[in-house]
Amino acid sequence: MNATAPLLEFKGVDTHYGDLHVLKSVDYRIEAGEIVCLLGGNASGKSTTMKTIMGIVRPSRGEVFYEGRPLSGVSTAERVRRGIAPVLEARRLFPRMTVYENLEMGAYTRPRGPEFQQDLERVFALFPRVKERLQQLAGTLSGGEQQMVAIGRALMAHPKLLCMDEPSMGLSPAYVEQVFDIVQEINRQGTTIFMVEQNANMALQIAHRAYVLQTGQVVLSGPSSQLRQNEQIRQAYLGEMTVAPV
Amino acid sequence: MTETGVLLQQVVNGLSLGAMYALLAIGFTLVYGILELINFAHFNVFMVASFIGMWALQLLGISGQSRVLTGLALAGSLGFAFVVTMAAAGVIGVVIERVSLRPLRGVPGTAGMITTIGVSYILFNVILLTVGAGSENYPNPLPVHRWQLGQVVVELKEVLIWAVSLILMAGLHIFVSRTRLGKAMRATAQDAEAARMMGVDVDRVVVTAFFLGSALAGAAALIFGLYYNYTSFIIGYTAGLRAFTAAVLGGIGSIPGAMVGGLLIGLIETLGGQLIAVRWTDVIIFSILVLVLVFVPAGLFGRAAPTKS
Amino acid sequence: MAELEESPASAPARPMSGSRLRVATLPLVARIPPRVRSRLAVGLLALAALLFPLLHANDADIDSAANALAFAALALGLNIVVGFAGLLDLGYAAFFAIGAYAYGAAASFQLQPEWSSFWEPFHWLDLVARLPGPAGGDVVHFQVSFWLMLPISAALAALFGVLFGAPTLRLKGDYLAIVTLGFGEIVPIVARNMPAVTNGAMGLNGVAAPQLFGYSFGISATPYYYVGVGLVALLIVTSLRLKESRIGRAWMAIREDEIAAAAMGVNRVRYKLLAFAIGAAFAGATGTFYVAKLQTATPEMFMFPVSVMVLVMIVFGGIGSVWGVVVGALLLQMLQSWFLEDLSQWLHGLGRLIDVAWLRHVELASSIELIFGVILVVMMLYRRQGLIPATRPMPALSLDQQAAQIQRGGFATLPVISPQPSPETGSLLAISGLTVSFGGLVALREVGLVVPRHGVVAVIGPNGSGKSTLFNAVTGLVTPDRGSVVMAGREIVGLPPHRVLECGIARTFQNLRLFPNLTVLENVMIGMHARLASGAAGALLRLPRTRREEEEARERALAILALFGNRLVPRAEHLASSLSYANRRRTEIARALASNPTLLLLDEPTAGMNPAETLELAEQIKSLNNSGLTIVLIEHKLDVVVSLADQVVVLDHGEKIAEGRPETVRNDEEVIRAYLGRSAAFA
Repeated sequence: MNATAPLLEFKGVDTHYGDLHVLKSVDYRIEAGEIVCLLGGNASGKSTTMKTIMGIVRPSRGEVFYEGRPLSGVSTAERVRRGIAPVLEARRLFPRMTVYENLEMGAYTRPRGPEFQQDLERVFALFPRVKERLQQLAGTLSGGEQQMVAIGRALMAHPKLLCMDEPSMGLSPAYVEQVFDIVQEINRQGTTIFMVEQNANMALQIAHRAYVLQTGQVVLSGPSSQLRQNEQIRQAYLGEMTVAPV
Repeated sequence: MTETGVLLQQVVNGLSLGAMYALLAIGFTLVYGILELINFAHFNVFMVASFIGMWALQLLGISGQSRVLTGLALAGSLGFAFVVTMAAAGVIGVVIERVSLRPLRGVPGTAGMITTIGVSYILFNVILLTVGAGSENYPNPLPVHRWQLGQVVVELKEVLIWAVSLILMAGLHIFVSRTRLGKAMRATAQDAEAARMMGVDVDRVVVTAFFLGSALAGAAALIFGLYYNYTSFIIGYTAGLRAFTAAVLGGIGSIPGAMVGGLLIGLIETLGGQLIAVRWTDVIIFSILVLVLVFVPAGLFGRAAPTKS
Repeated sequence: MAELEESPASAPARPMSGSRLRVATLPLVARIPPRVRSRLAVGLLALAALLFPLLHANDADIDSAANALAFAALALGLNIVVGFAGLLDLGYAAFFAIGAYAYGAAASFQLQPEWSSFWEPFHWLDLVARLPGPAGGDVVHFQVSFWLMLPISAALAALFGVLFGAPTLRLKGDYLAIVTLGFGEIVPIVARNMPAVTNGAMGLNGVAAPQLFGYSFGISATPYYYVGVGLVALLIVTSLRLKESRIGRAWMAIREDEIAAAAMGVNRVRYKLLAFAIGAAFAGATGTFYVAKLQTATPEMFMFPVSVMVLVMIVFGGIGSVWGVVVGALLLQMLQSWFLEDLSQWLHGLGRLIDVAWLRHVELASSIELIFGVILVVMMLYRRQGLIPATRPMPALSLDQQAAQIQRGGFATLPVISPQPSPETGSLLAISGLTVSFGGLVALREVGLVVPRHGVVAVIGPNGSGKSTLFNAVTGLVTPDRGSVVMAGREIVGLPPHRVLECGIARTFQNLRLFPNLTVLENVMIGMHARLASGAAGALLRLPRTRREEEEARERALAILALFGNRLVPRAEHLASSLSYANRRRTEIARALASNPTLLLLDEPTAGMNPAETLELAEQIKSLNNSGLTIVLIEHKLDVVVSLADQVVVLDHGEKIAEGRPETVRNDEEVIRAYLGRSAAFA
């Protein structure tokens, strides 16, 4: 392992769905310990970024590095085993399995044993509500509770890098605040976070750095404090960052 | 025998057939639950497996119904036949998946289903061309024991069928609800992409589904041979369609549904044959298939209607 | 005779059609224009078919050829159902059986009811004869003419197709397949179990041979061969003409994306039934032909293997390709009746020569079903489009076209967009109390919204707030639990999507629902479906009215594409799946405009576009509005919203939380909270 390498790095990554060119020569660099936020409108390539990290979509050009090593040819299972865990867009729990079974699925690549128990305790500490609902079917939970289980499920993989796809989507403002508090807490406990968001302002408040994605290209990047001062982003805060390339 | 007695006897017969259909239906349901694919090859995996079971028993020197075994010899020979047949059928299922279906994973539309029709045809004709079109006398080492229970007669072979089916279905239930791979299988059926992102090797889950489904078809095939004392290259088609109807009736994708559906189809077959006419049995069963699909597409235990957009 | 070209051959904007045929490499042939060339090829083919019995006077071979033609006719029929409309039918032989037994019963000695005066008129029409019965009294002998039974059998089979299809065609594809399999199974069983009509498993015997001008066909193969040629030629022309008509486009739209087809005005149930009925009619007529030729009919002739064989033929030839399925059927029949026989003979000779016992007796023809199985698997794995694919890959744009200056086009002067300019003011669309839930989850709660005529209303809100559900509820794709949607004074809740479109509401989809394997032009022409009128008769007869309508539709579609400058026009003949994101969005808008709507619903029209493209599209939307179109758009980009909308509606968690002028809404406390969470403002 290379000590100076970033935890995750995209170098000139292109992706295609059939004839559709989605990501266009994208570079990201995420250091261990950071919260990095990826902003952009629908169809800008955010979810494709997440799928590329997880190995569901393969780059047609360029390379993704994790802990300094290329990820090409590495299976999704192996990526999870090495410490990359996703919180999927719209939560995507297994609706007809219990909350406990969902958490077990999160730990699919991990051995059962004391570490599993520790991870479970950590999830319960972050989300006391989850512990109360363990035997309930996940499909019967409210949206906010489902998001807690979704984050808990990802934490059960004991990740170094947590990839979150729109964690605020469909949640009421109170829940969004709670989720973002917990994201910060998880980060303080040592997990690096790469988060796709539409909720620019909230995301920029907790992120250290951010990238702005538009039609598959990174058009802006920098520390959150700087981006928050950016006039174009401020004007466009209702949603998509319609900024000219810098 | 009184009329009630006849009907009760048909219930006993129906439960035996139903247990066989249930085992066969599980294979359709497992694969459909994960891949949303109707696997027509399953029909003739069942048929081929009945021949494998026959050969396995013949290997032990049993042919026809003349040589009756008892005690340990009976248990051992039947155990051997079940293990060999189920393993071989499972392997056939896995090979079919690897060779002909995996390359088509993710291809939209009916390509996968058309491929399984082709595979089914190949299996059918390989047996027809190598073994021939006649029907084979099935080796059966079971002694003929009958018990009179009130108005009905229960045979030893029926008790055996029920016991084997119960054991296999209980085993399957434990597998999907307790084991890591079994849970991964359920998770994949509910949301394949999410399961994959949790680190589940979806290919392995699919192979497992094919293996288990085909192995259970193997058990059903041996039961068929022991029950009817014959096999032939044509048995896959009718039994397969009835089992598929059972899976649909129970709610395709649902394992308990396949079990209950199988029993119901077995009862409908024997009682329908008794009350109406055997020659109309297939028409009755297909009518049920059509009616269920049109009016209760989710079946008895199904969750999602099969008219997705 | 029809053209060999299956896709729109006369498109004015097809720059490079010549290079598609391999023969283009032959310099002489290449000089002939493609249209003439394809007519020449068809002419030669027809000539060869007509001369075959004269050149090759072997009765057994002519007989095989006549059988092959029957299967080619079946393949053409199944191709309508499977290839055009995308409905997998595994029980197709049932319709073949219905046509066969219809003629069998109407022209044999099977049914002999007692004579009564009821039969007098039929006797007078020469449909029945009066014969002395075995038990003394006279009996009726049916002797309906073969030529009369051809259309009657077709109609009867079509009727069964409709009766069977009506309840089942709503099912998802693979379920439909299994239901058709069941139907295909039931029909031969019924035939076997009703010996009074069908003589059961023994089969009908003594079916009358057709007669023509007093000459009976008897058992010579040649007249049947010519009837087969005529039948196949008729079905080829029918298939080609339907495929290129409004009906064919509707079928392909259903095959590609049912939801989008419905939203574009295609009545799914009606067109699926039509495909089923026409496919069944082909099989019914063919059944009559086949049974007249064999002069017998048994249930075994119509079982599952026959359905599979026809399926193998169309898979082999090319699903959806008219010439492909004919070639597939003929090749497989030749393989079966000539090639495998010859090969077996040859192997027997080899066996005798080298003295190998099994070679001397091998019968390859008996392994034909094994070969069918292998063909299905191999074609699916390695060549799903078949021998002669239905769609050919379009050439890429030339360098000149790629390098051409972008012309943005514009909607300022739009002769093609003519929403009946209405002097009325007030509301065009009024939504009130609209509530939609999925399972227990409420996606929309008591939403109300008024869209003024000629206005632009923007619906904004975070992802997952119910915006697209609102569009789906208005266009009939989801059924609301409660509430009302009134379009131009008419309640439209509960109408199916195609009826909503007919009311003047057209839409685009956030996740893009183009018909991927159809060209850009075809996509737009499907948008016109509800505005065109021609039916099957017009398409088959190529009535002047239909041809004019098609021509006008094509021109109008091209004019609509031209609204986007040179972005779509050079790609008119390209498949929609080859387009860039921005061009897909433009094509969807063009498709919606083609229906000539009064109200346009745009779901994130600028998603995936860069700022320049966004600006361009916003201007185009503005000019659409200026030309009289009322617009509701879902949009995230604030600058687009501010520059376009008169009024903004904000949804959050399925509820309307604010409404008003853009600048007002922008400063609304609750809106800011919904979007921004805890701290209201930046810095």
